[in-house]
Amino acid sequence: MTSQQVIVTEDLTKTYSANDVPVYALRGINLTIAAGEFTAIVGPSGSGKTTFLNIISGLDQPTEGKVWLSKELISNMNGRQLSDFRRDNIGFIFQAYNLIPVLTVGENIEYIMLLQGIPKIERHQRVVDILEVVGLAGYIDRKPPQLSGGQQQRVAIARAMVSQPTIILADEPTANLDSKTGSELLEMMYQLNKKTGMTFVFSTHDQAVMDRAQRLITLKDGLIDSDNMQE
Amino acid sequence: MMLKIALRNTLRQKRRTILTSLAMIVGFTLLSFSIGLSDGSYSFVINMFTRNRLGHIQVHHRGYLDKPSLYATINNYQAVGQTIQNVKEVETWTPRIYSVGLGSIGEKSTAIEVVGIDAVREIMATQFDKKIISGRSLSSIPAKESILGKGLAEILKADIDQEIMIVSQGADGSIANDIYTVVGVVDSGDPLRDRMSCYLHIKDAQEFFVLEGRIHEIAVIVSDLSKVSKVTERIKVKLSNSSLAIAPWQEFAKSFYQAMQVDQQGMWIALFIIILVVAVGVLNAVLMSVLERTREYGMLKAVGTKPRQIFWLVLYEVNIIALASVVIGTILALGFPLSTLINYLLAINGIAFPEISYGGMKFQTALYVEVNARSIYIPAITIVVSAMTVSLFPALKAALVTPAKAMRTH
Ligand SMILES: Nc1ncnc2c1ncn2[C@@H]1O[C@H](COP(=O)(O)OP(=O)(O)OP(=O)(O)O)[C@@H](O)[C@H]1O
Ligand SMILES: [Mg+2]
Repeated sequence: MTSQQVIVTEDLTKTYSANDVPVYALRGINLTIAAGEFTAIVGPSGSGKTTFLNIISGLDQPTEGKVWLSKELISNMNGRQLSDFRRDNIGFIFQAYNLIPVLTVGENIEYIMLLQGIPKIERHQRVVDILEVVGLAGYIDRKPPQLSGGQQQRVAIARAMVSQPTIILADEPTANLDSKTGSELLEMMYQLNKKTGMTFVFSTHDQAVMDRAQRLITLKDGLIDSDNMQE
Repeated sequence: MMLKIALRNTLRQKRRTILTSLAMIVGFTLLSFSIGLSDGSYSFVINMFTRNRLGHIQVHHRGYLDKPSLYATINNYQAVGQTIQNVKEVETWTPRIYSVGLGSIGEKSTAIEVVGIDAVREIMATQFDKKIISGRSLSSIPAKESILGKGLAEILKADIDQEIMIVSQGADGSIANDIYTVVGVVDSGDPLRDRMSCYLHIKDAQEFFVLEGRIHEIAVIVSDLSKVSKVTERIKVKLSNSSLAIAPWQEFAKSFYQAMQVDQQGMWIALFIIILVVAVGVLNAVLMSVLERTREYGMLKAVGTKPRQIFWLVLYEVNIIALASVVIGTILALGFPLSTLINYLLAINGIAFPEISYGGMKFQTALYVEVNARSIYIPAITIVVSAMTVSLFPALKAALVTPAKAMRTH
């Protein structure tokens, strides 16, 4: 394991039991993702993409196997440690429900920094800066319901990146957007990836999004079906 | 930040917030009203019973209450009365003589209780004149007059200006008998007593029983019902006479006092039911809003919010609504006396107020509602505490949301 390896999984399996019937969502995933990669996880519905992302982000526990994030073995951490680890190391972008509707754009972006105890002046500066980066300068006092879906996802990106995590995980970030807005969002994520060197891992069904990815991992029935670097 | 989110959440869910706080305000008002009503009628009934009849405090010769005897007298009662009058917060006092005898009018005779009263003082103390239903009160100077209780007048078929002959025993052992003119009939509100009572001027009674300057009881009226025990202590100190027993109404009317306390327990049960209803409403509202926001809590937890912080987020919301409701409820209770409205409504609809009956005595009541401190702070505390209590479960539920499950979009 070199310092480049940000995400490492070893024989990762996840078995759900639905009405006493075992569902094998992941059946042994061995994967290494290096720092700065821009990786898409694809595959048919039910192939295990969400399960995989949840486990490597510590939102869910694997049935068996190990997960290292930035060299820390997170599959052994307790709830409290995981919570702190997520806060400091992972930025999340979900498909929907990313933002707290009653907080302004600025307050939403501030939220995690507040949990981290970053002083007010710095928080404010970072909010202003990141809004500039995602092209939403001037939207700081808007409330999420007053924004379009694409704008909301850009706020989500800003919120995920502002605490400067090593990894950004996104489960179908463009699924609720039309393809043009989705592509624009992905282009923005790609540019940010290049600029900051943060590692991006996202799942998608969207062909245009897949094409933009630097590495394309295809899951099928809980196993890695293919793993390709693209041009 | 959590407080900010909570506050804005209550504003976002306007309908639910309004409904929840309405439930709380109604609950608060009902609680406040029933405490006020209970306290109000409690002091009203006690006053009817004591202030208008027995007195708030009674002074007797030691042992008289346990075993009333013609000989257990208070001597030199004018001086004792004067001392009592000078005690702080004593309004007035009145002396009484009690003994039994036989009363006859024409052919009819029955056992009677002779009550010697100071006509002037009795009117000041217990509004004796207001209870006279026919005829007039006793003259202020002794004139061999008598007033009969309503029941007694019926038994003896007495009319005003007829003469009643009373036979009894004097304190010196002699046979006492004399004739008095019936000048009035009284309805004291206690039919049992009214079947026996024959009131004489205290001087006439003293002469009749050979009790010059002596009496059996001094009834004391205080200016504030709630100060009775304090005033009792003061009188004890001032009199410092070991042959006298000074008792507040809670002692000399023990069974009445106990009945009143049972009544208060009934009130607490009613309050408990109101709280229960409000609590179920609040639980429902909070649970709904927690369930609706499962994804939001999931997201907050995913990005590193601690379960404890989510727990407080929910409780803050409930508390904000509860505190606001209590403030509104207090303003309503203070600024808009509900009793006035209800009394008015009942009055224009011609609904008679229920009679409270105790030990055969009836009290005609109206709604006597007191807005006192108790009727504000007890509802306030109960509403806030019960809202918090029922919110513990939804708050815990929110705190323990598993983000992975909450965030699943299907
Ligand atoms: N909580 C659960 N209990 C039981 N089975 C589950 C649970 N969550 C997921 N599964 C099952 O695990 C398998 C993988 O699900 P997962 O959500 O990871 O797929 P996915 O690739 O993200 O699908 P999609 O493209 O539809 O989002 C599916 O068969 C799903 O039904
Ligand atoms: Mg999925």
